[in-house]
Formats: sequence, C-alpha cells, structure tokens
Amino acid sequence: MKSKTSIFILLLVILFAAFIGDIFTGNAPISAAKAWAALFGTSGDAIVDEIVFNYRLPKALTAILAGSALSVSGLLMQTLFRNPLAGPDVLGVSAGAGLGVALLTMLSGSAIYPLISSMGSMAQVVAAIAGAILVLMLILGVSARINDSVTILVLGMIFGYVASAAITILQSFADPDSLKVFVTWTFGSLGAVTWNKIPLLTGLIFIGIAATFFLQKTLNSLLLGERYASSAGLNVRQMRIVIITITAVITGAVTAFTGPIAFVGVVIPHFARAFFGTVNHKTIIPATLILGSILLLVCDIVSQIPVANRTLPINAVTAIFGAPMIIWVVLKRKKL
Amino acid sequence: MYVFVLLLLSGCTSKQTKKTTPETDDSNIVVKTKYATGFAITHTNHYTRVDILNPWLPGENYATYYLYKKDDSGIPNNGIKLKIPLQSLVVNTFAYFEFLHRLGELDKITGTSDGFRVYNPAILEGLKNNTIADLGDPFQMNLEKTLALKPEAILTSAYAQRDTYSERVSEAGFPVIYNLEWMENSPLARAEWIKLIAAFFDKESLADSLFTEIESRYRAAEDLVKNIPQKHTVMAGDNFQGTWYVPGGNSFNALLFRDAQLDYFYSGNKEGGSLGLDIETVLTQFGKAEYWFGCTAKSYEELAAKDPKYLLLKSVKDKHVFNNDNRTTASGGNDYFESAVANPDLLLKDLIKAAYPKRLPEYEYTYIKPLQ
Repeated sequence: MKSKTSIFILLLVILFAAFIGDIFTGNAPISAAKAWAALFGTSGDAIVDEIVFNYRLPKALTAILAGSALSVSGLLMQTLFRNPLAGPDVLGVSAGAGLGVALLTMLSGSAIYPLISSMGSMAQVVAAIAGAILVLMLILGVSARINDSVTILVLGMIFGYVASAAITILQSFADPDSLKVFVTWTFGSLGAVTWNKIPLLTGLIFIGIAATFFLQKTLNSLLLGERYASSAGLNVRQMRIVIITITAVITGAVTAFTGPIAFVGVVIPHFARAFFGTVNHKTIIPATLILGSILLLVCDIVSQIPVANRTLPINAVTAIFGAPMIIWVVLKRKKL
Repeated sequence: MYVFVLLLLSGCTSKQTKKTTPETDDSNIVVKTKYATGFAITHTNHYTRVDILNPWLPGENYATYYLYKKDDSGIPNNGIKLKIPLQSLVVNTFAYFEFLHRLGELDKITGTSDGFRVYNPAILEGLKNNTIADLGDPFQMNLEKTLALKPEAILTSAYAQRDTYSERVSEAGFPVIYNLEWMENSPLARAEWIKLIAAFFDKESLADSLFTEIESRYRAAEDLVKNIPQKHTVMAGDNFQGTWYVPGGNSFNALLFRDAQLDYFYSGNKEGGSLGLDIETVLTQFGKAEYWFGCTAKSYEELAAKDPKYLLLKSVKDKHVFNNDNRTTASGGNDYFESAVANPDLLLKDLIKAAYPKRLPEYEYTYIKPLQ
C-alpha cells in the first residue's frame, strides 16, 4: 500500500511537471520566466499574456480533461465487455459525433446557415453532441432489449460503421473546401477549446468521472464475469446501462470539443494495470486518470514541434508517440 | 438521422446578426462595383466603410470594417475599426499575392500559410530570409506564431462555418479581413476584389485604374474570338478517386469557356460550384469533346497508366489535353492558384490560344500547358 502511495505521489509530480512543461513550450518564442509571469499576473506584454493565459493554459487543461476522460471510458468499456481491445469508440459514439460534424460541414452553406452563423465555432460542438446522443439513444435502446454484453458490443460497432459509412457518403458529395474543413476536424485539436467552452466540457466529464468512482465495487465484480456478478447480487443489466451512459457522455463530450483522439482510451488502462500490477478499480481508476492526463500533455508538447512548419495532429501523435511507451511496458512484463 | 440533427439544431436559440446599412447622408459616397457582388465600399468625411456581404445569407453582412486615417472618433461601433494604410498583414490566401504586388504592398506581408506551396518569388524570398513567417496549414494556422507577429490584420478565406482560428485571433484583438472573392463566379468579378484589399491600404484610385486595365484587356481578348464560325467543344476537370469533378454551368471556368467561345456541355446548368460525375457519364457527355482543360496529369503516358478509359476520349486521341502546370515550383507551388485571379485576361487568352491558335499567333501560354 505504501509503495502505491509513493507511486501515486510520483505520478502527480510528473503530471504537474508535464502541465507546466506544456504551458512553457509552444511555437511563439516566450521564455519560461515570461510565461510564469503571464500565468500569475502579467508579463508586461499583452500578446504574451494572451498566448499563455488564453491559449496555452486552456489547452493544457483540455489535455488533462480529455486524457483522463478518454482513459476512464476506455477502462469502463474494457471491464464491461471484458475485452482488452475495447476503447471509448467501440460504442460508435465518436463516429456519431463525427457524423454530426460532417453533416454540419456539408450543410453549412444551406438553409441552416443562419443558425450555424449565430453559434460561431460552438456550432461544431453542438452538432457533435447531437450525433453522439443519437448513437447513445440507439445503444441504450438495444441495451434495454438485449441482456448480453458481447451482442451489445457488436451492435455498438455496427452503429459506428454505419455512422462512418454515412460520413463517407457525405464526403463524396462535398466540395474540396468543406472536405478539408471536416478532415481538419478529424485531426483532433486541444487548442480549439477556449475558456468559454471549458465549463461545459469540465461539467460533463466531471459528472462521468465522479460516477465512475461510485462504481468501483461493481466494476471489480464485473471482472469476475457477469454470472458471478449477478449471483453476488448485482443487477447486471441496470449497471450495464449506467456504464454505457457514462462512457457515451464523456466520450461524446471530449470528441465534440477536441475532435477524435485515438489510442489513449484503449491503451492507458493496460498501462495502468501494468504499472500498478493490479486490476482492482480502486487503484486503476485514479491511475488511469493521471496516466491519461500525462500522456496527452506530453503528446501535446510533442505535437507543437514543427515539422515543415506544420504542427502535427494530436490524433496521430497519441498513437505514434504513445505506442513505443506501451511496447516498452509490454516487453518488460512480457504480457499486458 | 439528418432530420434529427436538424431538429436538434433548430431547437437552439439563435441570435441573428442585424442587417446594417450605412446611414444615407449627403456626405456618403457609395463606390459602385461593376461586376463584384460580394462587397460594398462607402466613403464618408471621416472614414471609409467596407462591407463584406454574406453569400449564404442574402441581405446580411459577413463583416463590416471602418477604415480611418487619423482618429477613430465618431465611428459607429457595429464593425471593426482599422487604421489605414495597414503596415503589416498576415495573408492566408495565395490569390491575394498578385493583388498586393500590383498595389505595391507585397512588402507588408509578414506571415503566410504553407510556404512550400508558394509560387510568388518575392514571397519565397521573404520566407527564406525569415522576413515572412510560415504559419503552416491554411485550415489550421499556427495561432501562437500569428499572435507573436502582431499583424495589423489577418486576411483569410471565409467559409460557411466560422473557424476557431479566426474567432481566437479576433478575440485577441487582431482584426480578420475575410475574403470571399472565391464565391464570385465571373472572372472579372473576382478580379474586382483588388478594390476591396486596396481600400485597406488607401489605394482605391490605383486599384480602380488597375481594374479598368484588367477589364479592357479581358474585353479585348473576348473580341478576338467573337466572330468564330464554328465553336469547339470542351470538357473540364478531372477524376478524383472515382468522382469526376466538372465545373457547374455558372462557375468561374464555365464562364471563361463561354467568353472563349467554347461549347461546354453544362453551359445551361445553374450550379456555381462543381458537379461530381462518374466516369460513365463523363464518357457519354464528353467523349466527343475536342479539348480538355484542367487535366491533372503531366503526360499522355501518365494518363493512360492512370486509367486506360481516358484513351476513349476524343480530346486525348487528338492530343488536345491541357493541365494548369505551366508555372510551378519543385515543391508544389503553382501560379495558377495565385496570380490567375488578377489575370483573367491571361486565363482567357490561354484558352483562345489552345482552341483557336490562329487568333493569337504570337501569344505563349501563361498558366496552362499541353500534356507531353
């Protein structure tokens, strides 16, 4: 127990360092001293203040929010479906959010334009949430009728494929500019979340994560199999619906605000289990939260390194940069 | 699914941007544009008002600017105030390099997107000497680098969706000048946008005379082919991953074909953008077309290797195929996407030279190039 506490303290220190590192690095030449001054007052240069306080700080907070939320929803899916490949996107919620954004982008020049125009960049968030809710409704409808997790998993993936197919059809009709606008969204962007969007994002994620903490015992008994869990007095069907709802809400919220971010959700739970050598959710839930935040902060720092004057899409950096870390852990332990 | 999203969207409260027209006053002088429909310029004693009109919402403004030279007192608060002439500008739209060059303001550019795709030699030089910053992907320009440049304004393409980049630079206090010249269909209307950007540099009269020259050169080119006894037939566009995008009947390219006296299958069509066709439709509708413009291949060999079906086209059999790659750089810059907007007369002459070479014996291609 003692060693676990010290590991947690160590991880929190790394998290804090990554957070500060993310704020102190970027494409504008700003010294650490100036960035520090801007963070806790003013650097004397309005532009530096603007970059540090209104761009880098919300971006770093979004990295923490998105990293922890996606990792926890991946953990929930892996436990519920007892499948190591499960991740936040298996329910098709991310694809649903993508469909919402694709529809918005392709229809933006049409009759719905006045509405979109009045919402500004919030329109994209609303469209993504609408798409995610649509898929969530379908999943819940199915879950109420079917009492088998694997079937629900397969149906969720099918919903995801249908949403992706609809996106492909929309793309084939789109003009090149709309297509580029949509493709840019699929790159993912932590920097798109401004201060005015942070409260809603935080609120949605907080509700989901708080609920997850109350589910620790339920999740642990699910690890032993649904039959065991129900013989231990757990209403499996009810719990399944609760877990699916939590996952869909936080995944949908993150995808709506940042665009799709792959890899983190699938891999961080494995990383957490390997790191702490346990499957107990009492340890794994907080571990997943912290590790997910660290990974996304580090990936954000890496994505700022310019390659041919472009910054790399966060959605790609997570996999390219995260994969070697995971492979290293697997090789060391010789299993996940 | 579609209906569901619409319902959900329409459930939200919307706050419309109010239509604002300049107060009519004796001192107001409205500058009449001859072809362009996307902007309006009004002069008063104290300031110049520039309205970018909203193409997706007729009657509404996309943006309003108040340009002043000395003090901004007495200027209405329903727009963006800018002190002119601008001393620095970030340009996220290559089509404006040539406008700024003609106006003698190219040196005010301090940042641009995707430097490797630039053709303009002066901009390339600036990028090399670090007097112009490369801000990366035009659809996701680097925000930190932009702010660090502290430009007086940022010129960027407007789309039907507001992008976060424009929102954020505006919030940080950097005005965004939206360009919507790409929504204009007629070649002369697009070129007339030189007047818009000139207003921000207090060079409207220069822009007027430059545009009058462009116009007269365009009309002169038109006159070369007015009495053509037999129009040639033409096809356009190319195959992109199975869909063949051809210009709509009311598009920029279709209007150029009309003025070059070329017979285009979709000339009666009302679409201003492009039409997506499948290869079978293309073969039936354009199989016998004599000329093909806007091909993306470099050579007939490449064309045949891409898809042998291309060889069924008459234009390919007759070797009357042209791409837009006459002025390119090794890293992907192409002047067709830069100066052509300011040179509609040269675009027209290119087409005339290709289809009716006897009408322009001395002329050499500017933007288009026959396939090898």
